[in-house]
This record gives sequence, C-alpha cells and structure tokens, in this order.
Amino acid sequence: MLSIENLVASVDGKTILKGLNLSVKPGEVHAIMGPNGSGKSTTGYVLSGRDGYTVEEGSVTLNGENLLELEPEERAHAGLFLAFQYPVEIPGVSNLEFLKAAVDAKYRAQAKEPMSSAEFLRMAREACKQVNLPAEFLKRGVNEGFSGGEKKRNEILQMLLLKPSLCILDETDSGLDIDALKMVAEGVNSQRSPERSFIVVTHYQRLLDFIKPDYVHVLSDGKIVRSGDASLAHELEAQGYAWLAKAPDQEAVGQERPA
Amino acid sequence: MSEWLQSAIARAETMDDWLAPQRRESLALLREAPWPSRKVEAWRYTPLTALERADLSTAVVDTTAPDAQQIAGVDSIDLVIRNGRFENPMKELPAGLRITSLQSADDGARERVKDLFGTVKPTRHIFGLVNDVLASDGLLIEIDAAAVIEKPLRIVHLVSKGADVHTRVLVSVGEGAQAAVIEQVQGEHASFNTSFAEYAIGSGAKLEHYRFALQTGEAMGVGGSHFKLDDRAELNSTIVGFGSNLSRLDTDIIHDGENAQAKLNAIYLLQQNELFDLHATVEHAVPHGTTEENVRGIVADQARAVFNGRIHIHRHAQKTVAELNNRNLLLSRKATVFTKPELEIYADDVKCAHGATVAEIDKKALYYLQSRGISRAQAQIMLNFGFINELVDQMPNEGLAEWLRPQLRERFASMASSEEFAPVSSEAGEQ
Repeated sequence: MLSIENLVASVDGKTILKGLNLSVKPGEVHAIMGPNGSGKSTTGYVLSGRDGYTVEEGSVTLNGENLLELEPEERAHAGLFLAFQYPVEIPGVSNLEFLKAAVDAKYRAQAKEPMSSAEFLRMAREACKQVNLPAEFLKRGVNEGFSGGEKKRNEILQMLLLKPSLCILDETDSGLDIDALKMVAEGVNSQRSPERSFIVVTHYQRLLDFIKPDYVHVLSDGKIVRSGDASLAHELEAQGYAWLAKAPDQEAVGQERPA
Repeated sequence: MSEWLQSAIARAETMDDWLAPQRRESLALLREAPWPSRKVEAWRYTPLTALERADLSTAVVDTTAPDAQQIAGVDSIDLVIRNGRFENPMKELPAGLRITSLQSADDGARERVKDLFGTVKPTRHIFGLVNDVLASDGLLIEIDAAAVIEKPLRIVHLVSKGADVHTRVLVSVGEGAQAAVIEQVQGEHASFNTSFAEYAIGSGAKLEHYRFALQTGEAMGVGGSHFKLDDRAELNSTIVGFGSNLSRLDTDIIHDGENAQAKLNAIYLLQQNELFDLHATVEHAVPHGTTEENVRGIVADQARAVFNGRIHIHRHAQKTVAELNNRNLLLSRKATVFTKPELEIYADDVKCAHGATVAEIDKKALYYLQSRGISRAQAQIMLNFGFINELVDQMPNEGLAEWLRPQLRERFASMASSEEFAPVSSEAGEQ
C-alpha cells in the first residue's frame, strides 16, 4: 500500500523530516504521535504535495505509484486523502459544487461516467446524515462559517464520498469536544476495511480510544524513534514526551514491528 | 456642445406636459453643461463615441421587443416599461402599496411626484439631467408607513432595436415600511436608454434593492439609482453589470438621518469589447451612519471596467463606520480596470477603510481543492467564479440569486474559455 523510505523534506530551507521510514499495509491503522514541531503535519503535507514542501531525499510509493512525481490532484486520484487540521474556508464555492467536482474528477481519472446531479445529491445527503451534518451545509460555501467540529465532520464527509485507499487524519481530534470526537471516530471506523488504510496523526492518546490503531509510532525531530502496538499510546499518555529529550537516537527502534 | 446633446435639448424644448416646471431648471443646467470628454473626471475612462455615432433619431423602432420573462422562483409584482411607456394594466396591489404611472398621474399624485422628482438625485449627473428633461414616462411607487410588502416589485425596462428612451422611477418608502425593488434593464440591439430612480427611505424603513444592468452588445444604457436614508433606515442594494458599447451607472447613497445602514454589493462580468462604468458616491452628512460597500469584477478579453467609489464623510458625521472595497480579476493581458476608491473624511471620530486590488487566487484554497482531486485549472475557475458568487450568496432574495447564478456562470464560462485567457495576478495600480 504505502511505503515511505528515508524521507527527507524541508520547508523554507529548514529540514523538518530527517529520514522518515514507514510502511503501511492494506487495512492497517497506524497512529503517529509526537510532540509539537516533530514533523507530524509536515508528513501529511509532503505526501499530499503541498507547494513549498521540498523533498530532498527518499521515496514514497502508494499502491506501486511514485507519489512524489504526481501533482496533488493526481495523488488524490491515486487514492490518497488528507483530512486537514485546519480546513480552509472558501466562500462563494458551495460545498455541494466542491464535492461534486471532486467526485467527478475521481471518476474521470478512472475513465468512468460522472454521476448525475440527482444521484450525487442523494449520495451526499446520505453521507451528511452519517456524519451528522445538516444537509443545508451542502448549500453553504465550503467550510464557510463552520465551527471547528463542523469543519472536521466536513472532512470526514469528503472522505466518505471519495472512498480513498489511504487516509491521513491530521490532528482531526484537535479542538473537538468528546461528542464531536466520537462522531468523527465513528465516521472513520465505518470506513475501515481490509482494502483501506489509515494514518492517524495526533498529539493525544484520546482519539486512539475511539480509533484503535494496529501500530503506534513516535515521531521526534523528523524521524520515527519508537514503534509499538496500541499500548505504546497509553504509555506516552502516562509519561508524556519528555523522555524523548533524554533518549538518544540509538535507542530508537524505528520500524520494528511488534510480534 | 455635442450634436447629440444639442438634439436632446431641442427635443426637450418640445416636451410640453405637466412635468415642464420640473424640467425647466435641469434644462437650464444642461444648456451650460460641458459635454463629457476625457477632460471631465467623471467620464475620463468612458468614451461616449458610441452614443455620438449612433443615429437613433430616425431609426424605426422595432416594436416586437421580447416579453419580460418572469423569474422562476421569484413571485414578483412585475412592472414593465417598454420603450419608454409603462404598459401594465394595474392589477390589484397589496395594501399599503400604490403605483402610479407618471403619464396618468392625477393632481394628487402630481403633487407627490413634485416632492420627489430631483430631490434625491444630484444634478451633477449629466445624463440624469437628460433624463429630467426627456423622461416620457415612469413610475411613482409609494409604500405606506409600516407596510410590509412581501412580494418584490420588479421594474423591467425593455428597449427595442432603434429605440432612444428615457424613463424615471420615484419611490417613497414610508416610515418603518419594508419592501424590495428590482430594476432590470435588458437588451442587446442598437438603442439608448436612460433610467434614473430616486428613493426616499423613511425612518426605520428597510429597502432591499437590486439593479441588474444586463444590456449587452450595442444596447447603450446610462442610469442611476439614488437613495436618501432617514434615521435608522436600512438599505441593502446589489448591482450587477454586464457591459455593452456604453453601460454606465451612477449611484448615490445619502445618509440624511442618523443611525442609517447601507450595504452595497456590486458585481461586473465583462468580456470582448464591453465597457461598464460604476460610479458610487456615499454621503455621510450626519453622525452614526454605517456603510459597507463591496465591489468585485472579472474582466476578460479587451473589456474595460471603470469603478469610482467615493465616500464623503462630512464634518459633523462623527461615529461613521464606512468600508469600501474593490477587487478585480483580469482574465487577459488586454483587459483593463480603472479603479479609484476615494475616502474624503472631515470628521475626526470615524472608522473607515478602503482598498482596491487586482485579486490573487488564494493558494491555500487552490491546494485544498487540488488535494481533493480537482485539477489546478478547474480549481482556478471554481475559485474565480466563487469570488463573484460570494456576493451573489449575500443577496437576501434566494430565488433571485438562483436565477442570477447560472447566467453569471454561463457568462463566466465563456470568458474563461476565451483565447485571451491568461489570469493576471499582480497588484493593481490605482488611477
């Protein structure tokens, strides 16, 4: 599915990712945790092809395709989806128009006939129900005037409609109360399948109570310094990230898998 | 003096009707008025050559002008002015609303017309003076105090090929009343039309206003909507302009009573050789007034947009809050915008801002759309249209917005597919 090898990436001449390795198999849920500034969000931006994020070294393949050669829209067609921490507001472009354009683009990339407007509207309304977003939000500008929780639910709505094979959730839990968190987690869990994988980027263990990860990785200073199963998240919750400062690189177990 | 103006004055001298006393002063002003040229600031970027060259006086007017089509989804009271004549048989109107054609006004109505005619519209608009002296018909619309007129009034000006017509609209919105008025001008064949409207909005009254200057091609139109706001009056106005050989609108918003609120949104979408010129003047004559003005345009091909937005805050108009913003998007290297936002402030305790830019696409929004699989080119088109549509979304009448949106979308699509398409994203120079 996804294979990241020795990824080194910089922003404004500053190296943020310093040799990231990660391999995600179909159906797996990986959590990436770590302190602020460790490169968690950068990972998502680099994978999705955001302007200004320069890859210096390494490779990323998704379903056999070299992701780094593709335009952001082509990465989406290849099955990548990034749920943003801060989804942008686009007044004047209706949510429905945006969602239809995204789904149409995906169909076109797969050489399929686009859905009729009526058919799409039915599907979009159904998806709204699933994330508990009133259907009238389809008429509003993209994320325009949405609360933090509504923006996150709108991200999940997009995920439901686009059916990507790899979803990266970038701090989807930030700014959410417990009910909103559960709602988002339910949306994600409903999409778990043997073909679809998730990378859940989070600062706190809380989200992982609702989205159970198969693996947990700790990102520090641009690389993965420790990996484990779900219990690692609890350990981090108890200990915090302070130990990272004391733990030199050689203690890192990197991509080692729990048995 | 131009031949055109000479013949207009000659024509005016033969107008012999009950409005003659109202016309007299304007006629005198017109005889002295300099003909707009590049040397006249208000007309510097808007040449009148198309009007000077057009010979409409001897033209045979095609009377088979298309009908005013209803706007699906908008249940409006339609008032049709065809080639300068109000033609509706008066139907039953809601309580609190009176509509009188100027041609058939009785003595009482004539007196009330005199109270309004020329009292809101400033005399500096030369074609406003032309309208004063040549208006052949028009409407007096009166809304009683506290009346709430649910249905919008839609005034449709239909102008046939060869027509040279001048009509006037006078609207009085009584204290605490609420109403919506749509002024719509449509046509594409060689013609000339001036349509000026004056609105007196009573204290605490609310007026929703739309002006759709949708004439294109050889249909020339010069017009104005002028508003006087009494205490706590609220005006929400939306202007939409396509361009033609000559399309010019003047609007004046006069804060005459304290605590009045004015919101003006304007949109223009221009292509080929079209010209659209909007001059908007807001006078804050008294304290505690609020004005919010947002003007956005997209200009393609060799089209030309002119925007002059002046907010004048008088010495006693303390606590005024005024904001004026003009953003333009140029789709071709040959497209031009002449924009001039002016704030003239003589009071010292006010909150004001103004700006004019050539808009740039929001990079974050572009990335967001691309990250969802939408191509860069399509995302740019969506965002450019969204830039205009944001103001359409703000129109209080949703049915009207739904009628307008596909027309704008269609026009924008043909602009964006033009061979000249080359979005410009540099900072704009002001005039």
